Amino acid sequence: MADAYVIEPDIGFIHEVKGLGGGDLKKCFQCATCSVACPISPDNKPFPRKEMIAASWGLKDKLVGNGDVWLCHNCGDCTTLCPRGAKPGDVLGAIRAYAVTEYGPVKAMGKLINDPKMLPVVLGIPAVLFLVLGLITGLLNFNPEGDRIVHAHFFSTWLVDMVMLPAAAWAVINFAIGLKRFLNDMHQNALQEGKTDIEKIDPKGMVMGLLRMIPAILKHDKFNECSENKDRATAHMMVLFGFIGLFIVTNIFFVAIYGLQIHGPYSQMNPVKWLGNVSGVALIIGSILMIRSRLSKKDQVSAYKDWWLVGWALALGVTGMSAQVTRLLGLAGISYTVYYVHLMFIWSLFFFIPYSKLAHLVYRTTAMAYNEYIGRK
Amino acid sequence: MDKKYGVYICEGCGIGDALDMKALCEIPEEEGVPVKTHPFLCGKDGVALLEKDIEEGTNTLVIAACSRRVNFDVFRFDGCIVDRVNLREQVVWSHPRSEFPALTEDQKGDEEHFDRLEMLAQDYIRMGMAKVEKIDLPEPYKLDNFSRKILVIGGGVTGMSAALDAAKAGYEVTILEKEAVLGGNAINWRKQLPLQSPYEELIPPVVSDMIQAVESTSNITVKLETVAARIAGEPGNFIVTQKKPGEKIEFDVPFPLPEEMKVDEKGKELTAEQLHEKFLEYNVGKNDILTMDSDGEAFGAVILAAGWRPYEPKEGEFAHLGYGELPDVVTNVQFEEIANRGKLIRPSDGKEASSVVFIQSPGGGDDDGDFEYAGSVTSLVALKQAKYVREDFPEGKSFLFYQHMRTPGLAENFYKSLQQDPGIFLTKGEVTQVSKNGDGLIVEAENTLLGEKVQVKADMVVLGTGMVPVTKDDPVVNLAYRQGPGFRDNDIFQDYADSNFICFPYETQRTGIYAAGGIRRSLTVEESMEDASGAALKAIQCINSANRGVSVHPRSGDMTFPDFFFQRCTQCKRCTEECPFGALDDDEKGTPKPNPTRCRRCGTCMGACPERIIGFADYNIDSVGSMVKSIDVPSEDDYDEPPMRILALVCENDAYPALDIVGLNRMSYSAEIRFIPVRCLGSVNVIWIKDALSQGMDGVFLLGCKHGDDYQCHFVKGSELAEIRMKKIGEALSSLALETERVAQFQIAIDEYDKIPQIVNDFAEMIEELGPNPFKGF
Repeated sequence: MADAYVIEPDIGFIHEVKGLGGGDLKKCFQCATCSVACPISPDNKPFPRKEMIAASWGLKDKLVGNGDVWLCHNCGDCTTLCPRGAKPGDVLGAIRAYAVTEYGPVKAMGKLINDPKMLPVVLGIPAVLFLVLGLITGLLNFNPEGDRIVHAHFFSTWLVDMVMLPAAAWAVINFAIGLKRFLNDMHQNALQEGKTDIEKIDPKGMVMGLLRMIPAILKHDKFNECSENKDRATAHMMVLFGFIGLFIVTNIFFVAIYGLQIHGPYSQMNPVKWLGNVSGVALIIGSILMIRSRLSKKDQVSAYKDWWLVGWALALGVTGMSAQVTRLLGLAGISYTVYYVHLMFIWSLFFFIPYSKLAHLVYRTTAMAYNEYIGRK
Repeated sequence: MDKKYGVYICEGCGIGDALDMKALCEIPEEEGVPVKTHPFLCGKDGVALLEKDIEEGTNTLVIAACSRRVNFDVFRFDGCIVDRVNLREQVVWSHPRSEFPALTEDQKGDEEHFDRLEMLAQDYIRMGMAKVEKIDLPEPYKLDNFSRKILVIGGGVTGMSAALDAAKAGYEVTILEKEAVLGGNAINWRKQLPLQSPYEELIPPVVSDMIQAVESTSNITVKLETVAARIAGEPGNFIVTQKKPGEKIEFDVPFPLPEEMKVDEKGKELTAEQLHEKFLEYNVGKNDILTMDSDGEAFGAVILAAGWRPYEPKEGEFAHLGYGELPDVVTNVQFEEIANRGKLIRPSDGKEASSVVFIQSPGGGDDDGDFEYAGSVTSLVALKQAKYVREDFPEGKSFLFYQHMRTPGLAENFYKSLQQDPGIFLTKGEVTQVSKNGDGLIVEAENTLLGEKVQVKADMVVLGTGMVPVTKDDPVVNLAYRQGPGFRDNDIFQDYADSNFICFPYETQRTGIYAAGGIRRSLTVEESMEDASGAALKAIQCINSANRGVSVHPRSGDMTFPDFFFQRCTQCKRCTEECPFGALDDDEKGTPKPNPTRCRRCGTCMGACPERIIGFADYNIDSVGSMVKSIDVPSEDDYDEPPMRILALVCENDAYPALDIVGLNRMSYSAEIRFIPVRCLGSVNVIWIKDALSQGMDGVFLLGCKHGDDYQCHFVKGSELAEIRMKKIGEALSSLALETERVAQFQIAIDEYDKIPQIVNDFAEMIEELGPNPFKGF
């Protein structure tokens, strides 16, 4: 047996996890009902019981780099069945939020995004940024000319990309740094806890694992194994595909503008436009369903981090769709204002994504790919 | 009393349907005893019938109906002798006609067929009639001097609580406290466990309020720095000699001679006089127990609340935990002292102790037991002290390693609330080592919830050692009893002053002495206060039973007491020695001196006496013997193949009610058994067995409570003594060429009633195989 593990509880960590939605974590009395109830927990070293123990002992080192917290889909089966009301599902969610902040290189951003008092700052940054940059460069025109409402006349495409591209790049860089650390820690943890005996990660194997996982992720296979919050899977799927659709549309139009020099607004008959509208509707409906589900499930915690994400998704969809609808209705003033707000949401989504709950897109996918790669069932 | 007999047979509850009433009535009629039947004897009409006869002079009634355990108030007639013959549960309900058919007209009187059920019922009527002939109405034993005062030994939380309760109920109470102040252990605590809902927070110790309350209660007398040198006499009239602790006085209690001094150089037993002389020599300077202190103070009952002392680890006992070696490893009591002085600091260097490990089980072996004398209270104290660390230091950490975390009842709330504290860490696990680590400590543990070998750095380690009842070191009560000054069998209760694992809390092995608090079990303040109320009520019950001359418990209200025919006493001392309650004190000649209010009326003395000179008004050698003799034992003169007859002597505490439950559940068993209830198997005198066998009965068995260390015997020793006596009777049987198997003893708990038919039938079958008793028909 390895050397004795030196327990050094981090009380600050316990306080933080409690604040991030794991408020009941100390109630756990280690009965293991959660691990039995969980439909997607592996047989070897199942979660979330061990995570609950580690959390109640403040053993940050056993949790932050633990890939298992990402295998959890927070379906809530464990939380519903927990005899002590310790809400393991929500505790794992809180640990994930903590881990996301921990892996990002700028921890202050994590604090910013997870603190409701900082919401005005989070929204204020893009608002001010657009205004300042727009005024300096003159790309923000408060008197757009012409009969047609063209958003680009008010908020130049150049200005949009001038603020959006660096934000996206920022996200990519942050993710890259975070992911490298995460993958390393996750592997060390797996070795330590005997989840794998593969000494060194083979990048090819990792990619193969990822490729094998992608269809399952898209089909929400794991999510569908849950019983308590099955409806959430549908909503999640709508939001995910909404985002994917909009991502595709944005890229096509990016090429159209800069490559083919075709400027919008585009015809409603355009198939790309169809995709955009369908995706937008999916995003709106999906996020409304999610909000409704969270409101009705009183036994499950919805922390600020959760509301931030579903709220953001809804705001994105609604502002985007309204900007288009008001444009078509000829409500110029409203349309331009809504468009401005819409861009604010997009920017902060890009800028904060590595620190927000949406980071699960990257971390969970990686953890699932890794798990597939090491063959843990 | 001139007895006027009457036999009353109830026909209800299926009795009339199954039995031939006319034939039953012939039994008393043959004896010239009036007999009446009634379809519903416990109803208004039936009772009116009985009352009318009583008015007309009937005073000795045999009521053949249901079990004596039901309708006891309906068939209670003061001033009358009443015996209940159990035709319902023991005859018709447990022997259905489908299995025990009645005779057809042809079969009657053919010397081949007989009606087993009818025979059973007839025997029971005969036995009831024989019994009432031999018993008398009891007259209560009244003490000449009687005190209603209650003595409380110990002025801690329990003692004060008991005193306050008894005082509130209107009794004069005296507290003896050996220390110079009241309060006991609790005065040195920082905080105490919660006493009321929601049971979540620690509270200031209640002891100081309690001291004030005691001091301001007029009918409580507090005697500090005082102990009981001896308690002589008996409940209702205990004569207590008090002294300063450590003082030597002539009324210090004498100790009985050790076994090895009871024989001479050749190993021969000494005579009573020689023994007494040696006893006086052994206790030189002390008066004999029968010498009364004329200055002693009289009390009616005693509450023993002398409490506990901290466990003192033996040299090197917890070496692997560093105790004795490392100054920062302390016991929970030592930690409490530190906490009470102020902020938690380490004994070694006075630095703050902000990380503390609490160990609940010593480990170091296969045993996962907690520290000796621990209990739920030590778990709770560890939680309490864990909270101190959190109170003193915002970043403080408390670690609890336990094998058992016991937080019974609403104490669970306290556990839950502490579990919520981010700085309190709980795990099951075995601590293997505590060692020095720089200027701090390092604790190693295995098999923890964290799944591996773990280490924790700590400033201090606290061992959850237990609470030792002070009766372990000293008798405390110092009873001037021939059997000795303390309780005889505390060793089977881990040295606690107790008398039964399950039943009878507060009752010690000495009537009139009621134990509460730490002397009885490791208890919290809350539990001790509850205990104190229980013991106070018991003491009051004792006073209010002894004053009326009735038994206190478990035969509450029993007016009988053992009566000795001293002219025939051979001074064998068996009764003195075997009495489970030390009720008898023999004098210098060895003649027993009864102390009736100490007695619990079990009859163990009656069972022990070889001269058969001990008996009770309504239960004696002759009454049971006559019942045995009244059983009709058919022989070959009566039938070609006569049925067996088996006598069963049944303990009325557990076995008899179990038999009733068998009937209630309509479970059937052999109809050849004749049951006679006895007060305790300890009261069974072997003469009854000899009577049964000599009149041709084929077997005898005793059915009573479990004995041994986990005994369920209501009288502590009865069933155990019976077993010893049965072994001895076996030897006598073989000398008569009778098989020793013909006499047996079975143990039964009340909830094992379902096993009774099997036990009974197996025994009957075994006897059948042995064949009839060769003495039958002589």
